[in-house]
Amino acid sequence: MRSQINRLPETAPKGFAGSAIDRNRPVRFRLDGRIVTGFEGDTVLSAALASGIDTMGSHLNYPVGLTGRAYPAISHASLRHDPQFALPMARTPAQDGADFVSLGAQRSRGISRLFQPGRTLGLKLDATHPLSHPWRAATGVAGSSCQLLVIGGGVAGLSAALAGARAGLSVTLVESRAFLGGNSGLFGTQEGEDTPEESMARLSAEVEAADAITVLKSTEVFAIRPGMVRAHQIDVTSGNSRGHVIDIATTHIVIATGSLERLPLFPGNRLPGVTGTLDAYEMATRYGVWPGQHAVAATNSNFAYRLAMLARDAGVGVDRILDSRPETASRFIAFSRAYGIVQSPGTIVTAAGIARAGGTLSVHLDGRNGTPLVTDRLLACGGWQPDLTLWHIAGGHSAWHAERRRLEAQGPLDSIVLAGSAAGYFTRRGCIQSGADAIDQLLGRQRRPVDDPGVDQLHETPDGPLAISPLAEEAAPAYLDAGTGLLQRPAPNKRRFSLAFWRSSPRGLTLLSEAPQPLAVSEVAAGVDLSLVPAEAAGIVAQERVASVPLAVAPTEPRPDEWTPISSAEVPPYLVGRYGENAKIVQIIPDEPRVLEPGALIFPDSDTRHPAHAIGVVLRHGASGTIGLAVAAAGSSRFPVTVREREQITRARVEALDP
Amino acid sequence: MSDTLFDFAVFGSTPTAQLLAGLLAGEHGRKVLLVGHNRAGYRLPRGMDLSVAPITRPESWSILTETAPEVARLVTHIAGRSAVSRIDPIFFAQEPHACEALSHIRHMASGFGIAAEPLGQSILGGNRSGIILRDALRLNRPHLEMEFESWLADRSVLRPIPSSVTIGNDGGVQLETPDKPLSARQAVLADDEAIIRWLPLRQWPTLFRRVPSTSILTTPTRALAASVMLELDSGLFLTQQTEGGIAAFGPGERAEFSEHVRALLGQDRRLEQAGQTSYVALATRDGAPAFGRAAGLGADVVAATSCHGAFIVPALARWLTGEASAGEALWFDLHLVNRGDQSKRVDEYCWPAERPTV
Repeated sequence: MRSQINRLPETAPKGFAGSAIDRNRPVRFRLDGRIVTGFEGDTVLSAALASGIDTMGSHLNYPVGLTGRAYPAISHASLRHDPQFALPMARTPAQDGADFVSLGAQRSRGISRLFQPGRTLGLKLDATHPLSHPWRAATGVAGSSCQLLVIGGGVAGLSAALAGARAGLSVTLVESRAFLGGNSGLFGTQEGEDTPEESMARLSAEVEAADAITVLKSTEVFAIRPGMVRAHQIDVTSGNSRGHVIDIATTHIVIATGSLERLPLFPGNRLPGVTGTLDAYEMATRYGVWPGQHAVAATNSNFAYRLAMLARDAGVGVDRILDSRPETASRFIAFSRAYGIVQSPGTIVTAAGIARAGGTLSVHLDGRNGTPLVTDRLLACGGWQPDLTLWHIAGGHSAWHAERRRLEAQGPLDSIVLAGSAAGYFTRRGCIQSGADAIDQLLGRQRRPVDDPGVDQLHETPDGPLAISPLAEEAAPAYLDAGTGLLQRPAPNKRRFSLAFWRSSPRGLTLLSEAPQPLAVSEVAAGVDLSLVPAEAAGIVAQERVASVPLAVAPTEPRPDEWTPISSAEVPPYLVGRYGENAKIVQIIPDEPRVLEPGALIFPDSDTRHPAHAIGVVLRHGASGTIGLAVAAAGSSRFPVTVREREQITRARVEALDP
Repeated sequence: MSDTLFDFAVFGSTPTAQLLAGLLAGEHGRKVLLVGHNRAGYRLPRGMDLSVAPITRPESWSILTETAPEVARLVTHIAGRSAVSRIDPIFFAQEPHACEALSHIRHMASGFGIAAEPLGQSILGGNRSGIILRDALRLNRPHLEMEFESWLADRSVLRPIPSSVTIGNDGGVQLETPDKPLSARQAVLADDEAIIRWLPLRQWPTLFRRVPSTSILTTPTRALAASVMLELDSGLFLTQQTEGGIAAFGPGERAEFSEHVRALLGQDRRLEQAGQTSYVALATRDGAPAFGRAAGLGADVVAATSCHGAFIVPALARWLTGEASAGEALWFDLHLVNRGDQSKRVDEYCWPAERPTV
């Protein structure tokens, strides 16, 4: 049996052999005790997927897929108990001889019975923080500083870095993956353009060659404010992967983090085998990984058709494309028809389920009663959302664009600008030009118009609305996004009978406001599509619920030794006037030795107990005894009173305190 | 009266605003507009509704304890038993002035029949004092909001979405809506956000202070000692959320507030923020609630009612319609927003961020 069952052959065309891996240099490491094989250039995630591990574990009793956007933190086995050494599975290089363990959740034994042995990491994802990133809690070490920090090594970020260097700035470019270029490959070429691969290679080479640009690969920014970012960097110089959290001080920041692929909403949309088109494309072109022999695509966007054709060329059967749009036009659609791929316009997935142990999916469609499609893989695309995560963390605003059905950035931020598809641009040309435009904005130079040439809608149908299936009971969960949040689609709680001895299964989320995790920008967008969030409030909610890590500030609270002491005869404002304008500070002398509590009420006799009838109150116990505030009449010599402390009565006398 | 002229236009999104609109329309027969979105289903909390509060004046406790059962019956009628829950909130403090105020609050609450017990330091950690107030009522905002829709509709409360609002010097208000212009004889700005957004600057009371405030939601973590906790030192509320997170809100800039929450919940507790927002809240210079017409003749305001505003709404509705009892009328008269008579002080405990600087 082949150890890398999901690895495409070295001869796979259209770049599906994997550009990041060196097949002449195999690696072998342990993950949770099992042997995983891969190649130099693989990440731990890509090697695991290539080896057939495509399941993280179970959530709400259903398996959840392991993908490029959702994976657990890992650690070297010897360092597993120290969270500061945690590493992201998708960014950690596969290293020969390493011994990794996955972190963050308990192991499950039961789930393994449903699948082929070895297919799952066996994590119980119902626990708190199942996919957390422990390094986010770490304090940053001061790193280098620069004049311009560009976040994202796609074509927009590369262009911005080059424009910044041309403007004489010292530039640092931060890219989360181990290579530059970004995700333009999936989106193809427009008339008159070079290929995305050529663009990405040319810009990457120019950046690598520029003296003024420092490139930090395998480095992911997770906190940002004007003048500073905090990032998690993976360092392999010592031979072992080590994570560091660094703070980078900078004058200007360009956020070029691209777009996030949205997830169509149907039960089972995160089962193993369901994956986004961009994730599938990147895994294939970077690492030569493609699980299964047959796939079905469910989309509201034209780029799934391009992926289907590329996969066909690589020998993978993409049998059918389900398009939620009733009528579509695209050059990709016309070509894929020529490939013989069956197209089903106006069709949405109503549910996905596990057809057979071993990984085959059943895909249920609307209007196709009882005859689900059976496939190895479901490529699910719900459209694209500019990744505004860091923009929101930095305090940037956004608003819902009703026609494009997505959140778009609004307004300026001090010394921080967006570029590329994060800024809302659609085409590669627009993204590249927007990188240079970002520098013009930051430096206050005259801006030139960005050419973002969209194709006429007659020829290129825009993305459709997010496909949403009806709510279903007794089905796998429907998640709002494919990321680490595992946020289910909220549903109203139904009244149900419960038996005292029966432990009911966990109830789903009913309100977005009660979701105990940050909301990714795509989750907020899904909330708008589900009418859980009013469109006009979407930007505010996205900003409120972004996963923010506060960057440290100097403490301003007074320390206990700085507290203002209370003087013995001080009358707090909330007591002023309560016992009349002429109320007096009095000494309270209990008939029996006793320390009376501040706030205890003083009454003229033991029969009176309503606070409105109190004639005074105990202020505090000082060096000279108990001090109180009382009506003027009680200030006469040794006036007899009753002090009430809860149910206890103390007889006492009060007398005016010497001035 | 024409179909575009109303008696009251209530502005606000909180249960206080919605209850007030419904009571003015239903129990008092007025024609009412309500301007404000439901938001508890998707926004971070900035307040809560409790039948107890950090108040020290017997007159205020008297109003609260008289009207709280009325509100509990009303919301149960509107939204069923799940609209209100019984909880045992904890108020705690460490700073000496706050500790003293806490003791005054405890004795006053006890005097009004609320079981207010001191807490041991082992429960709160550090050198903190605390009290637990037994059997307090808490409104379930998200649930109530959903049920308010039909309750308000039954009382013919119109909920327009105005494109512009103009409040006159006499308190009257004109609203432009997509359908037709609407007007009301009296505007009632029933929460901080409504006051900040709509109150004309020329009517702005000198009593008010704008307080930078923050709301934070944490990811699930170890449960709090009580479902609601109030730190009297700072005015910070902590609430245990249904799904395991903790919501914290109160005065303070975001970064300092975040550090303070982290320190308060303990360094050993694993904590990540699941949401955060900054906003401006209103406080009064004397810490006491404020009602009545801004600048003497302008819009009615309802401000600085701490966490108990919703539980005094029936008395407020009676006062606004001239049907209050003598005791209620006296209390509201003492708490007018343009109060200034030093012989009739109504100060309540102010947290440091809300104290006047001069």
